[in-house]
Amino acid sequence: MRVLLSFLLLLFLVLASSAIRSSSSPVTDPFLGISPQDEKYYKSSSEIKCKDGSKRFTRAQLNDDFCDCADGTDEPGTSACPNGKFHCRNAGHSPLVLFSSRVNDGICDCCDGSDEYDGKVACSNTCWEAGKAARENLKKKIQTYNQGVVIRRKEIEQAKVGLDKDEAELKKLKIEQKILKGLVQQLKDRKEQIEKIEEKERLEKEKEEKERKEAEEAAQPGKGDGEEKTDGNEKVEGSTDGGEMPGVSQDDEILDENEHHDETGRYKDLDTDEESAAEAEPTSVLEEGTHNNPADQHVVETKEESPSSEDLIITAGSQHDGSTKKEESDEVKKVEEDIVSEKKEALSKEELGRLVASRWTGENSDKPSEADDSPKADEHENLEHTPTSPQEVEEDDGFVSDGDEETGDDGKYSDREPEDDTYEEEYRHDSTSSYKSDAEDDLDLSETTSSPTWLEKIQKTVKNILQAVNLFQTTPVDKSEADRVRKEYDESSSKLKKIQSRVSSLEKKLKQDFGPEKEFYSFHGRCFESKQGKYTYKVCAYKEATQEEGYSKTQLGGWEKFENSYQFMTYTNGDKCWNGPDRSLKIKLRCGLKNELMDVDEPSRCEYAAVLSTPARCLEDKLKELQEKLEKLMNQDQPQKHDEL
Amino acid sequence: MRSLLFTLSLLCFASQTSLSWKKEEFRSCDQTPFCKRARSRSPGACSLIATDVTIADGDLVAKLTPKDNDDQINPLVLSLSVYGDGIVRLRIDEDHSLNPPKKRFRVPDVVVPELEEKKIRLEKFATENDPPSSVVYVSDGYEAVVRHEPFEVYVRERSGDRRRVVSLNSHGLFDFEQLGKKGEGDDWEEKFRTHTDSRPFGSQSISFDVSFYESSFVYGIPEHATSFALKPTKGPGVEESAEPYRLFNLDVFEYEHESPFGLYGSIPFMVSHGGTGKSSGFFWLNAAEMQIDVLAEGWDAESGGGESRIDTLWMSEAGIVDTFFFAGPEPKDVVRQYASVTGTSAMPQLFATGYHQCRWNYKDEEDVAQVDSKFDEHDIPYDVLWLDIEHTDGKRYFTWDSALFPNPEEMQKKLDAKGRRMVTIVDPHIKRDDSYFLHKEATEMGYYVKDSSGKDFDGWCWPGSSSYIDMLSPEIREWWGGRFSYKNYVGSTPSLYIWNDMNEPSVFNGPEVTMPRDALHVGGVEHREVHNAYGYYFHMATSDGLVMRGEGKDRPFVLSRAIFPGTQRYGAIWTGDNTAEWEHLRVSIPMLLTLGLTGITFSGADIGGFFGNPEPELLVRWYQVGAYYPFFRGHAHHDTKRREPWLFGERNTELMRDAIHTRYTLLPYFYTLFREANVTGVPVLRPLWMEFPQDEATFSNDEAFMVGNGLLVQGVYTKGTTHASVYLPGKESWYDLRNGKTYVGGKTHKMDAPEESIPAFQRAGTIIPRKDRFRRSSFQMDNDPYTLVIALNSSQEADGELYIDDGKSFEFKRGAYIHRRFVFSNGVLTSKNVAPPEASLSSQCLIDRIILLGHSSGPNSALVEPLNQKAEIEMGPLRMGGLVASSGTNVLTIRKPGVRVDQDWTIKIL
Repeated sequence: MRVLLSFLLLLFLVLASSAIRSSSSPVTDPFLGISPQDEKYYKSSSEIKCKDGSKRFTRAQLNDDFCDCADGTDEPGTSACPNGKFHCRNAGHSPLVLFSSRVNDGICDCCDGSDEYDGKVACSNTCWEAGKAARENLKKKIQTYNQGVVIRRKEIEQAKVGLDKDEAELKKLKIEQKILKGLVQQLKDRKEQIEKIEEKERLEKEKEEKERKEAEEAAQPGKGDGEEKTDGNEKVEGSTDGGEMPGVSQDDEILDENEHHDETGRYKDLDTDEESAAEAEPTSVLEEGTHNNPADQHVVETKEESPSSEDLIITAGSQHDGSTKKEESDEVKKVEEDIVSEKKEALSKEELGRLVASRWTGENSDKPSEADDSPKADEHENLEHTPTSPQEVEEDDGFVSDGDEETGDDGKYSDREPEDDTYEEEYRHDSTSSYKSDAEDDLDLSETTSSPTWLEKIQKTVKNILQAVNLFQTTPVDKSEADRVRKEYDESSSKLKKIQSRVSSLEKKLKQDFGPEKEFYSFHGRCFESKQGKYTYKVCAYKEATQEEGYSKTQLGGWEKFENSYQFMTYTNGDKCWNGPDRSLKIKLRCGLKNELMDVDEPSRCEYAAVLSTPARCLEDKLKELQEKLEKLMNQDQPQKHDEL
Repeated sequence: MRSLLFTLSLLCFASQTSLSWKKEEFRSCDQTPFCKRARSRSPGACSLIATDVTIADGDLVAKLTPKDNDDQINPLVLSLSVYGDGIVRLRIDEDHSLNPPKKRFRVPDVVVPELEEKKIRLEKFATENDPPSSVVYVSDGYEAVVRHEPFEVYVRERSGDRRRVVSLNSHGLFDFEQLGKKGEGDDWEEKFRTHTDSRPFGSQSISFDVSFYESSFVYGIPEHATSFALKPTKGPGVEESAEPYRLFNLDVFEYEHESPFGLYGSIPFMVSHGGTGKSSGFFWLNAAEMQIDVLAEGWDAESGGGESRIDTLWMSEAGIVDTFFFAGPEPKDVVRQYASVTGTSAMPQLFATGYHQCRWNYKDEEDVAQVDSKFDEHDIPYDVLWLDIEHTDGKRYFTWDSALFPNPEEMQKKLDAKGRRMVTIVDPHIKRDDSYFLHKEATEMGYYVKDSSGKDFDGWCWPGSSSYIDMLSPEIREWWGGRFSYKNYVGSTPSLYIWNDMNEPSVFNGPEVTMPRDALHVGGVEHREVHNAYGYYFHMATSDGLVMRGEGKDRPFVLSRAIFPGTQRYGAIWTGDNTAEWEHLRVSIPMLLTLGLTGITFSGADIGGFFGNPEPELLVRWYQVGAYYPFFRGHAHHDTKRREPWLFGERNTELMRDAIHTRYTLLPYFYTLFREANVTGVPVLRPLWMEFPQDEATFSNDEAFMVGNGLLVQGVYTKGTTHASVYLPGKESWYDLRNGKTYVGGKTHKMDAPEESIPAFQRAGTIIPRKDRFRRSSFQMDNDPYTLVIALNSSQEADGELYIDDGKSFEFKRGAYIHRRFVFSNGVLTSKNVAPPEASLSSQCLIDRIILLGHSSGPNSALVEPLNQKAEIEMGPLRMGGLVASSGTNVLTIRKPGVRVDQDWTIKIL
């Protein structure tokens, strides 16, 4: 009832105001600038109170262009009170409340022109057109929301399915993990047993050899030198072809090291980048022979090669190389620091210039690798002057300050309310794309693991082997059986590792915040990309955000969380900024039909901002709100139409 | 505990600054041979005597020769000129008739031509015998004396005890190294770090002592980030390692807030003030590196004895002695005398006195539009949006980065539609890029400064390899000015103005981050001789260029970082790259007071501090103090977080908005003060002792300052402070600007300093004009009515002035202005015309509110004549709008008297 009443009142007022507008100049309106809700306050008596209660004023003092109330109550229609507010009715469009500073300032602020009445400027009434455009926009927005809400619902359903599937898979994997763990342990025990026996055999053999040699030496003392030599040769021969034992033990070491290596790798993967772990998974699948994909094949080959001692040496060597390099670079760095901190004696004039410039610009003149310091195109022209050595060229890059300037066509600053956003830019950014990150969504371990044959097969094989090997309790060990045990052990333990890794990544995934209705579930393992100028921005949900230019990649931040009730996604602790904060990124989410990253910007140094449109933010409540707003606007139209009639 | 905390924070601070300020990159006095030599000379070392004293061409001239001239040293030529109003000019140079290797550099274009009109042509001199001296008349109060043996020059009072005012060489420290001719095997080079100065003419330095009598303190000689009253740098009680005040224009990265180290500008003008209320001044027109010692009492065995004299030692690397003695006696007389030599400050456009928003960098057109609209959204007025170096195409000035600023004209027009202007940066280093039109032209025309070998000097600055326009030449300056025409500066519009940065000049790979001293300017002038004036000439050329661009109809606005005497004639300056620290907020006041005292009144410090991120409280306090800076601009380094006033939460937005509104409310007062400075040289921002010369408690106060004669402002310079101690000088009362509360003068008051505002007071006996309506920018305030705030003194009297012109053109020079004097006396307020009769400008603006503070009775109405109308008197708000807490008080208000601002009228309180 009350709603209806106020609606009628509103209708009446709007009618009244349009009547005034058409009949007389607003200057004579003593109630100019008063909002309809307030008219009663002003009309109720001839003496009016300042709203702050500070004093009273007469009807004659209302809008007399002299400020009596510090809060502006007495001058709603003039600029006299600095704290005042001017209400334009804007029939045909939405009403607007202005600061009184806008009244008669020569700038048309209200679409009905009512804020400029002193005759200095003539404002035309643009409310109808503006209102129409606003309504159209609103309609379009509602349309987007309508569709978005549907997509969102679907996604929520899919999320439920996906989550169930994940949970089921996890459960299953855990069981398999348990079984496999047992098998691996058995194999390991057996393997160690065999190795013990082999070792024993070897020692015995050695002992025999020794005795034989001693006997021979005793027989032929005169030819000691030559004998020794031959002996040596034999020894070499022994260790290469027949020397199973040392070979095995060495292999073991290799394996261990390899394992260790693998683990570190995997640890890293989990922590920073699950890609390689994920990549590894299909390999295991392949080993089972279920797929045959050339790329995977390659992986398998590599894998097979890797445990060879030759490889190990190479790896070790390169590792060594690596560390030397690091030391070297540390040294270089230190020297550079010395140069910087000391008298710069050794610097050329140009280097000195860059160095001093870098203090203001914040660019590191010595270390050009800072990705944000990449120069603008024109700066490359410096190369013309800058001779030659690659280091100098790089320095040139490092010197230039413009790297942080996105050429993005619109900067969006985070203080903008997401709600206020228009969503209509969906088709604008063709450079944007979204795709599944190759991280782990593709990691369909479930397919293989779910096949019962796989585990059964292993179980059976292991059983067979163990039984078979069991038969040979006594020396000598059957070489082929020993190899079988070792091979089976290797394969099973690698499989176990893969399952373990998958389990841990699933567990991690299920711990993520997918939103109150799990509407962000589909974000998991997804990346969104936007190309702006020379940079490609890549945002991977629940993972990291990067800025890439050519081969250089800067981390803008690691996944932090959703903020402001899922209106923002934040990434923090990105690559360090010289003289600035660690890089970070704040992404505003808004309703859109597709997941689309846009408007990446850097409003403050190394603090990035972007917008991501997504159906996940097409909320039903918001849709209702918009519909109500539209309804209100459409109702407002009525009198305007009357007026025009 | 507190002291421990303090020590800790001090330690932190020390380590922080020692990391940033690269002290070792700059020469200390010990590393500067001329300074070291001069400082180690003992009193009485000068053996020069004045001979052949005579009058020639209206000057007193003499020869200076060593008493026993065994070494056959060439005599120097001394000449002494006198100008009206108590100015004595002393010049000493080599004798040109004796063919020195080269003419020493005399700085042209600084002394205003009008000074010649004031010259008193000397026709005779009197002779005294004890000691032998020659005396000339200066003014009714003063005479100048040249003592012959040893030579000494001083100004003294003519009556009574013939008290000395200022003197030169009273301690015999005068030394003048004559130019040499480099012979075989002469090793005159000076090395500093990796740089070598070839010094083809050998040592050519000059030094002497100057004494100020009856002085408690000396002030001036900017630019240093240090206390207003200059601390002694040598003598008893001063550390051995203390440096003299250095005047050498340098681009100092992250300067310290308490240091005698030379910054971006140099004005070798010192003012003394003492307990008798008298001031005097001394100015040395010299553009070479200068070092100045303030000598502590007792530095010389002969000194001291309670004479309240301050001795100083002035040392310069090159140039000539061209010095001015200003007799005073009042502080305002000294600044006026100085202004009559170097000029008064230019009348700024009205917009330039509003708020300026700057950042390194507003990135693109959208950023500009966004920032602009945010000001409107938050109802914060501003007048100018600034673009730093990144707006250009690769730091090629006069160009635009076409990706970021594809439509610069449209952008400026959009701002202009709201009455707002834009400023772009133009620096003196030109990118050495053959495809850059400016470089091409400057190279072809030979307009660059040359290196010592005669090739175009090639230094490093923002664009990389750069050359520097030789601004010493009038022809080149004229050419440079032409670059600002709309045709030449593509993308510029009439609402675009200019910022000259890096004009010390800053050369990143040069000695001490500047140009080598042996670089060559037109006419074979060595850079060492002209260094401190380089930025001045650049500023001049740019400013004149804008005048040319506007066909002489539009007042230029050019902000410069480097300064030199005379800079005030060409535009505003700011104190360079300060830091977001409370101590930098504090030191901004002594820095600006010093600049104002030495002529540069249109000055400000970057609000918030250039480097670093100010905490919101510091930023708010900075806006509150900065609203009273003559030049009011927020600026920030590109590594800092955004800090536009609306980014720190609703409350802080409100506080900063209110600070900026305060400034806009007071714009009529500020503009009137700028006019006063333009006419008299008296600065907008004044030390307390300039208004209260007798009040010794004010002499070393550099935390409070006067804006004009009517407002006293005390900044808040510490975190978390809600109380302040404020010394209010004089015998009359003061009225709190927020609430009209009365405080007695001559006392230190403890008072609230809530977060809403810093303590500010109107002095009893003054009338301050305001415009209380808020607008987007000063442009829209044009037709708004005025408020007069009358603060009555104990005799129920007050007066004040209001100056109005069109705010932009030079028509005011032809009399198109309104200048009113309001006098309240015997219960009647009178508006009198103080403009000359030919002055003509009319204005429809009304005075619609008159506030009476300190009125003894409670009248109800007033009679307005000649309208013969009654106006109501009632209680009304002291300040409208703004923060409720500061506007709640009601005061006696004459409501709508309906008088026009351009007419004579009286209002009688009934």
